[in-house]
Amino acid sequence: MTFKKRLTLVSLIVLVMFVLHNSFWLWDLDSVVPLLFGFMPFAFSYYIGYAILAVLAMKLIIALAWPDPPGEVIDSFTSDGEKPE
Amino acid sequence: MNTTLGIGILFAYVAVLVLIGYLGARVTRKTREDYFLAGRGLGSFAIFMALFASNITAFTIIGHAGLAYEVGYGAYGYVIGWSIFITPFTYYLVGYRSWLLGKRYGYATQPQVFGGIFNSRPVALLFTVLLLYYTLPYLVVSIIGGSLAFTTISEGALPYWLASMIIIAVSLVYTIPAGLRGTVWTDIFQGLVFLVVAVLLLFAVARSLGGFAEITGQIMVVNPAMLQRDLSPVIAPINWFSFSFVNSIAVIVFPQMYTRILAARSSDKLKKVSLYYPLALAGIFGVSTLLGVWGSIAVPGLVGKDADYIVPMLIQQYLTPVWTVLGLVVILAIVKSSIDSQLLSVSHIVTDDLLTRFRKVSSGQAVFLGRILLIVFAAAAYYIALIRPSAILNIAAFAFSGFSIMLPVMIGALYWPRATKQGACAALVIPAIMLHLWYLGILPAATTLGFMPVFPAFILAIVILVVVSYLTPAPDAGQREKIFGFFAQTFK
Repeated sequence: MTFKKRLTLVSLIVLVMFVLHNSFWLWDLDSVVPLLFGFMPFAFSYYIGYAILAVLAMKLIIALAWPDPPGEVIDSFTSDGEKPE
Repeated sequence: MNTTLGIGILFAYVAVLVLIGYLGARVTRKTREDYFLAGRGLGSFAIFMALFASNITAFTIIGHAGLAYEVGYGAYGYVIGWSIFITPFTYYLVGYRSWLLGKRYGYATQPQVFGGIFNSRPVALLFTVLLLYYTLPYLVVSIIGGSLAFTTISEGALPYWLASMIIIAVSLVYTIPAGLRGTVWTDIFQGLVFLVVAVLLLFAVARSLGGFAEITGQIMVVNPAMLQRDLSPVIAPINWFSFSFVNSIAVIVFPQMYTRILAARSSDKLKKVSLYYPLALAGIFGVSTLLGVWGSIAVPGLVGKDADYIVPMLIQQYLTPVWTVLGLVVILAIVKSSIDSQLLSVSHIVTDDLLTRFRKVSSGQAVFLGRILLIVFAAAAYYIALIRPSAILNIAAFAFSGFSIMLPVMIGALYWPRATKQGACAALVIPAIMLHLWYLGILPAATTLGFMPVFPAFILAIVILVVVSYLTPAPDAGQREKIFGFFAQTFK
C-alpha cells in the first residue's frame, strides 16, 4: 500500500475519533446507563473507554504511517545535532 | 496548619529541586544545543514526563475542577475528551516531521523549522512574534493562578506577592544552571509527586465524604443534572464542538511542548510517548473532574471564580495538616513545571530567533544570553503578575485559540509542497487579527454563526493558506527537494 493510501486511512481514524467525541446523540444515555463500578456515570465512563480506544487508534496509526528513518536518513543527521553556524 | 512540618516538607522539596539543578548543571555543556535541547538525547520516559508535566497547568486542578463543580461530569469530555486522542496524534502529525527536520538541519525552534521550510525570514519572524505574544500572557496567568491557589490553601499564611515570588524563584533555581535538562529532570520528579499525591488525595477526599458510591448517590439526589450533559447550557453541543479547536490542538503549538519533541533521542521514543499519552491525560483530568464534582456536595454554594478554588478548599477543609502540605507541594509542582518550561522557551526563542537577526551569537554566548533572559523574563512576569493589567489578562483569555489557529500553517508546511511563504504569512496574520476583533467585541458575535471565534478563525487560516498559495508562485524546486525530497526518504 502506498504511503498516501496509508495516510488516508489515518485520516479516517482521526475522523472516526472526532465523531465519537462529538457524539451528541449519545447524551440521552447519560440518565439511562448504570453507573460503572458504582460511581462513574456515563458522561464520565464514556471517556475512560474513549481513552482506551485512543491508545488502540495510536497503535494502529503508528503501525500504518509512522516509519522509523532509514539508515541513509540517520546518516544525514548532523552528528552532534549542533546547528550549523 | 502545622507550621514546622509544613516548612520542613517544603524545604525538603525545594532541596531536591536544587540538587537536581546542580547535578543537571554538571552534565550540561555550554552549547546552545545542550542547554536548550538537552543535546537532543531525551528518552521515552523523560519526554513523556516532560510533556505531561508541562501540559498540566494550574488550570487542571483549578479552572477545570471549578468547571466540573458547576456543570458536572460533562466537564470531563468537554475539556479533555478530544485532547485524549488528538494531542498525542499531533505529536505524530506535526512532531515527528519537525523532529526529522531538526535532526537533519539543526532546527531547534518553530521559527527555525517553519522559516526553514519556506526559506523565509518573514515567516520565521511571524512565528517568533506570535509565539512570544501568546506565551508571555499565558505565563503570567499561570503564575497568578498558582499564587492564588497557594494563598488559599495556606489560609493566607503565604500572601499573594510572596507566593508568586516563591513560585518564580524556585523555577529559576534549576532552570538557570541546567537549562532544558534541569526542567526535564525536575519534571520527572514533580510529575511523579503530582501523580502519586493526586491519586492519594482522591482516595482521602472520597473517604472523608463517605466513599465513591456514597458521594455519587448524594449527587444523584441533590443535583441529578450533574450527570446529564444536555442540561448544561455551558457545554451545549455548539460549544462542545467549538472547544475541540481550542486547547486540544493548541498543545503542539506551545513552544515549550514543541521544543521537547525536538529534543527526543529517536523516533521510537516519540512513538512510545504518543501511544501512552492518552491514558495519562484521561487519568489526571479524571481525578480533577471527580474532585470538582464531589466538591459541589462537600462545599456547596460557590459561584463563578470562587468555584475555581474547590480543590484547595477540599484539601484545606477535609484533610489533615500533612495532606495540606502535600497539596501545597502538588500545586507548586504543577504550576512550576509549566512556568519553568515557558520561561526557558521564551528566552530560547529570543536568544536564537530574535537576537540572531541583529548580530551573530556564538553557542557559548547563546547560553549566557539565555540565562540572562531567563532572569529578565522572570522579573517582568513577576511584576506583571503583581499589577495584573487587564490588557494582559484579555490576551491570555484567548491565547489557546491564538496558538490553535497557527496549526494549519504548521501542517500545511509539513505536508503540502505547494504551500508558499506568502500563503503562510497571510494565514498567520489575518486569522490572528480576526480572532482579536471577535474576542475584543469589535466584530459582532453573530458573525461567528454561534461558534466560538476559534472555529471560524481556524477555517479561515486553512482557506487563506490554500488560496494565497495558489495565487502566488510555487516554492522553487530546490527548496521543495530540501524538505519533501528528504521526507520522501522516510515516508515511502
